[in-house]
Amino acid sequence: MADFATNTVTSSTGVCPHCGSQTAGAHFCAECRKIQLVSGSDYFQFFGLPRKLLIDVSDLEKSFYELSRQFHPDYFMRASNAEQQASIERSSMLNDGYRTLRDRVARVSYLLALEGYKEAEKKAPPDLLEEVFELNMQIEELKAAKKAGDENDVAEAQSALEEAMMGLREKLAGIDDRLLAKFGDWDSALDRSAPTSEKSALLDQMSELLSHRSYIGHLVHSIQEEL
Amino acid sequence: MPVIELSLSGRPKSARVVGIDLGTTNSLVAYIGDNGPEVIRDRSGNGLVPSIVYYDQEQDRLLVGEEARDRLVTEPRKAIYSVKRFMGKGSEDVQEDLSLVPFQIAPGSEQVIGFQMGDRVFTPPEISAFILRDLKKRASQFFGEEVSQAVITVPAYFNDAQRQATKDAGHLAGLEVLRIVNEPTAASLAYGIDRKEEAIVAVYDLGGGTFDISILKLKDGIFEVLSTNGDTHLGGDDLDNRLITLVIDEMGKEAGEGIAQDPAVFQTIRKAIIKAKHDLSDSDSAIVEIDPGVQRPAYRRTLTRDDFDRLIDDLVERTLGPCAQALKDANLKPEQIDEVVMVGGSTRIPLVRAKVKELFKREPHIELNPDEVVALGAAIQADVLAGGRRDLLLLDVTPLSLGIETMGGVVAKIINRNSTIPASAAEMFTTWVDNQTGIDVHVLQGEREMVEDCRSLARFTLKGIPPQPAGLPRIEVKFLIDANGILTVSARDLRTQQEHSIEVKPSYGLSDEQIEKMLLDSFEFAEEDIRKRQLVEARNEAETVMRAAEKALADHPRELIDADERSAIVSALDDLRQAAGGDDHQLIRDKIRILDDASQHLAEIIMDSALVAALKNRKASEVAKG
Repeated sequence: MADFATNTVTSSTGVCPHCGSQTAGAHFCAECRKIQLVSGSDYFQFFGLPRKLLIDVSDLEKSFYELSRQFHPDYFMRASNAEQQASIERSSMLNDGYRTLRDRVARVSYLLALEGYKEAEKKAPPDLLEEVFELNMQIEELKAAKKAGDENDVAEAQSALEEAMMGLREKLAGIDDRLLAKFGDWDSALDRSAPTSEKSALLDQMSELLSHRSYIGHLVHSIQEEL
Repeated sequence: MPVIELSLSGRPKSARVVGIDLGTTNSLVAYIGDNGPEVIRDRSGNGLVPSIVYYDQEQDRLLVGEEARDRLVTEPRKAIYSVKRFMGKGSEDVQEDLSLVPFQIAPGSEQVIGFQMGDRVFTPPEISAFILRDLKKRASQFFGEEVSQAVITVPAYFNDAQRQATKDAGHLAGLEVLRIVNEPTAASLAYGIDRKEEAIVAVYDLGGGTFDISILKLKDGIFEVLSTNGDTHLGGDDLDNRLITLVIDEMGKEAGEGIAQDPAVFQTIRKAIIKAKHDLSDSDSAIVEIDPGVQRPAYRRTLTRDDFDRLIDDLVERTLGPCAQALKDANLKPEQIDEVVMVGGSTRIPLVRAKVKELFKREPHIELNPDEVVALGAAIQADVLAGGRRDLLLLDVTPLSLGIETMGGVVAKIINRNSTIPASAAEMFTTWVDNQTGIDVHVLQGEREMVEDCRSLARFTLKGIPPQPAGLPRIEVKFLIDANGILTVSARDLRTQQEHSIEVKPSYGLSDEQIEKMLLDSFEFAEEDIRKRQLVEARNEAETVMRAAEKALADHPRELIDADERSAIVSALDDLRQAAGGDDHQLIRDKIRILDDASQHLAEIIMDSALVAALKNRKASEVAKG
């Protein structure tokens, strides 16, 4: 049985619920030093980071550990209900944010969502369409061979698919390289305060790469299932 | 009950929190002593309380632990063991388990199992509560003050309903459960507490009824769980069942059929094979001897370790799948694991050790008693929660993905397994038809894609949505998995910023009303035999007071009081001890009062001096009233 509590959400007003001082979204109140409810939902901001994509993961881990030591509910067992609530909210946002930002793909997907992009749909890269057609044929052949119980045919279809998989994995790696290059472009565009049009173009390109990535990833997954 | 807040170390004195390992086979309670975590033992040095509850219908009383185990063979129908396997489950889930135990299941056990014991029905949380109450009593006697807060461990792979059932059991036992901690994670605390350098640790935990594997990263006092996996249906019990089946088959040839249906013979067999299993951990062969009573011929056979290994090989092999998955989820190869820690009694089996060594290519740690290490770790976590130390921090994960039902019976995952907890996810819901005022939500746990392959957690309805065109309402539902791994849900109408009422139907488990009723029931239960209870209470109190006085005499220098006073206390102690051996509760009370008076002055001196901590900050007289 889950415990379904009706949450008393005090939405963020930038005012400390414990002493009433202005907090401007800080983790702790500057006056009474008590932990604050979560305001806003930007993971970059939460970690005190700019919206850049090249993140040093070991630095991120370091802040994650440091903030965990400040927010974790373990340390608020004897505190007031309001502080306990704030500790749970802030820890869960910390954990959710760390999980998102430490992973390259999750990080760029998150940035795109923050910038108003919808979740990237699976989209086949144009140069892949012919290959996909071929692959589907091979998958069908494998299925047929399995059904017929012909071990030779199964082995043949399997090795053909395995070879195709290798090709797909290479493509994935290629996409990742291009994505990473875009990360650098994005960060430098931010540093230069580049015009909005340039940044939008970069976001479009990254969104497109993610769509391709997700498509190929799905393809690899379904081939693996068949193998 | 006044508690004097004084402390030598200057850190704020907090109420005591104990760590409890509520095991399938044995349970135990531990605390943080001066030299680190320690198991609380009885007078004969025994820390393990067998997780067995016996209900004596004639006298309407319960026996727990050793006493209950003694009745297993003679009155098997009235004793429940391995109750942990039934926590948070409905009768559908446990058909297989039920075929291997002599328990009678009461009607209406679809959502929560009810064990029929005589004319009473007990649910698994109640049975567990009796065990917890026994541990609570043990700890309270040990400290000379009532212990009411605890950390309780569960298998890492327990789902929400099983965790909640454990929390309910604590509540029923009069314990505030400050935290539900995963067993392998607790064990890692006990092992890694003094460790300074960074390490990746795998904890292999094969207990009585469950198997867990957890992979952790230890760094600067942070114990970060990277991944966890397991099987809540694989443990020492299953190994036992293989042996039981073997013996029953072999006996059947000579002794005729129907052995398995005779619960007394069944328990005799069970006892014999458990002994053989234990023997085989140290020697190459063991004798299984069973005397099934007068009507049947006795059974005797030699069981070699090879025989045993062959019987259990596939079961042990089954633990390796979850290990591989946990490694994969943590993105690690076996050679990247720095240390392997063994937990649970079943890891004493040589075959288990050999397979683990083979998988991780290193010698597993067995320095700490595998039966005690979880309780010791729970005590460390209890100390953290009590405010005792801030250098350690456990960051655990949720073992199973959380999802909601979408179109076509497909589960949409909203929190993935192995996410660090607390973890949250917000989902937006809207209406399908015009003027719809309620939205049904079905929450599930599991890794599969379809609803029927996942574990239903709860259904709830978002109610009171003002009539609007379809698709217009925007209700944000926030799912939060807390640090116990238990889900809470809240909902908000984003247009009006109004909190939404949620009406919940948990799929498995007890409702709040049922728990309240059980609390009353157990109270009545205690009231039923008032005189017996008075005697037991007087004895317990005597025990507590004697302990406090003995401790005060032993711990403090002789100069504190003069010889006369000292001998007065000693003789009052002797009198009380003698009275406590009898069954006159009034006499015991009188002697308690006399000891109280005699030790009053000593208690005051101790109180005034800085040595106060040694008497648990309380006068003997206050302890007695407590």
